[in-house]
Amino acid sequence: MKRILTILSLLLVLLFNSVPASAADAHEEGEKESLDVKEVIFHHLGDGYGWEVPFSHVYRIPLPVIVRAQDGQWFCFSSSRLSMVTVTEDEATGKKHEELTPVVHKVERDGRNYYFYIPHLAQHKTKVVQLIPEQAAEADADAAIAGSHPQETADAATIDVNGKEFEIYRPFDISITKNVLALFIAAVLVTLMVMSVVRYYSRKGMKAPRKGMGFMEMLIDFIYTGVIKSSLGDKAQKFAPYLLTCFFFILTMNLLGLIVIFPGGANLTGNIAITLVLAVATFVVTNVLGTKHYWKEIFWPDVPLFLKCPLPIMQMIEVFGIFTKPAALCVRLFANMMGGHMIVITLTLLIFIFAAFGAAALGTSVVVSVLFSIFMLLLDVLVSFIQAYVFTLLSALFIAAGQESGHHHKDGEGHDIEPTVEA
Amino acid sequence: MELFTPDFGLVFWMFIAFAVLFLVLAKWGWPVILKNMDRRADTIDKGVEYAQQAKQQLDNAREEARKYMEEAQARQAEMLRDVAKMRTQMIEEAKRQASEESQKMIEAAKVSIEQSRKEAELQFRNEVSKFSIEIAEKMVRTQMKDNAAQVKLVDKLLDEIEKN
Repeated sequence: MKRILTILSLLLVLLFNSVPASAADAHEEGEKESLDVKEVIFHHLGDGYGWEVPFSHVYRIPLPVIVRAQDGQWFCFSSSRLSMVTVTEDEATGKKHEELTPVVHKVERDGRNYYFYIPHLAQHKTKVVQLIPEQAAEADADAAIAGSHPQETADAATIDVNGKEFEIYRPFDISITKNVLALFIAAVLVTLMVMSVVRYYSRKGMKAPRKGMGFMEMLIDFIYTGVIKSSLGDKAQKFAPYLLTCFFFILTMNLLGLIVIFPGGANLTGNIAITLVLAVATFVVTNVLGTKHYWKEIFWPDVPLFLKCPLPIMQMIEVFGIFTKPAALCVRLFANMMGGHMIVITLTLLIFIFAAFGAAALGTSVVVSVLFSIFMLLLDVLVSFIQAYVFTLLSALFIAAGQESGHHHKDGEGHDIEPTVEA
Repeated sequence: MELFTPDFGLVFWMFIAFAVLFLVLAKWGWPVILKNMDRRADTIDKGVEYAQQAKQQLDNAREEARKYMEEAQARQAEMLRDVAKMRTQMIEEAKRQASEESQKMIEAAKVSIEQSRKEAELQFRNEVSKFSIEIAEKMVRTQMKDNAAQVKLVDKLLDEIEKN
């Protein structure tokens, strides 16, 4: 309890020390630097080509950008080439102000110039794009573009650099972004955790592991007996690897997302691409390994004939259900995790919003926001666990539904139509 | 809206990462752990069963040992009693035998004394008769010179014998 209080008060002191300074900055620079709440939230929730360094707004850990240009050439370069930190000094106060500005990265290969750039207003915002000069202007485009900061007009299909028009092309992009790196870190962590238990077994044999490994084993047992065995029965052994991998991967990604600094901080499971892949995996496992009975239930369910014969109402509902189930899985995990992150960020941002109303409002909002953020973060720890559990549980149930062999159903009607669809 | 459109690069890497993670763990991770956990649970169950059995056996053994002890004690008491009885019996027997033996010896001694007395008597008689015959012979030689005296003597002798 004492330790918690210490941490709390330390956090408060830290915030009190840092916030007035930035608030003062904001005050001095007036309307120009006003806080773009939406921008901040989306930046935190979204992906990025570099990884933010703690306590700095501009510096990033550079990560490799891997893109395929329009003509099929592959490029791999550091993300630090795409942005530049400019330091401007305020003459009146002598205070240095750092700003991160995007720059065009030029690559020369086989006599051709390739320009890459991260736009922040136009289409493909915050994604790497290739700038393609108009055919005629190719020669002097090079001179125009060198090291410059292009002026962007919002939502235009082209970009204007020093009077030259450039076409925007979004390349095939498999860069190791912040999320991808976080993904790898999570995967490595899960592997290490599981393998440490395996190694323990090979070393100590039948001895029960203690402490961290004991907790790990308890979790495995909790999922295996509580979820997988209870819903899949004697087929538990077959699907346990998939479901356990799902659970631990999701749990690790969820918890890593709650850690604010480097190895964590990426909003992984709050990203629809991640949950999409997981849901598709469950969809594939359910339907590819589905039994004949499962497909019969979809195309010729045990309902009164008029519901399925002239108009395939039930069939339509069932087929629709095949797709909505994993879709719900995908959206549930995504929305829960993203929501949690969004609330914490918003609560933190409240401090900066209220800072404009003077010291009293600032002080109150700091206390309230910090308390609420901590509460929300703790709640998110719980939610991380629950969502990983729910995803695994529902996946197990869907897979179990696909594994029904159907000898407990009466087999009277299903004879005249054979289930023809086998995935 | 960008939050709701999956980014291809991330999907691509997620697929690879998830597939690799799944393959690695499905091959070397989960089966080993699940098997080991099952095996350990079985071992623990067996251990508990074994311990219960062992306790049962120990109780049984203790009970048996107690029984044996009691039996042994009873037998010991019985033996002691038997031994005491036997001892008195043996003493009695010995006494009886000794007295019997001594009786026998006394009898034998008596018999032998009687015999030797009889022998001595016989011998004495023989000798006496021999002497008497010799004496008689001598007397008869001297005295029996006539028949009257001879008859008188015979009568006298016969009287004597009759008296005896």
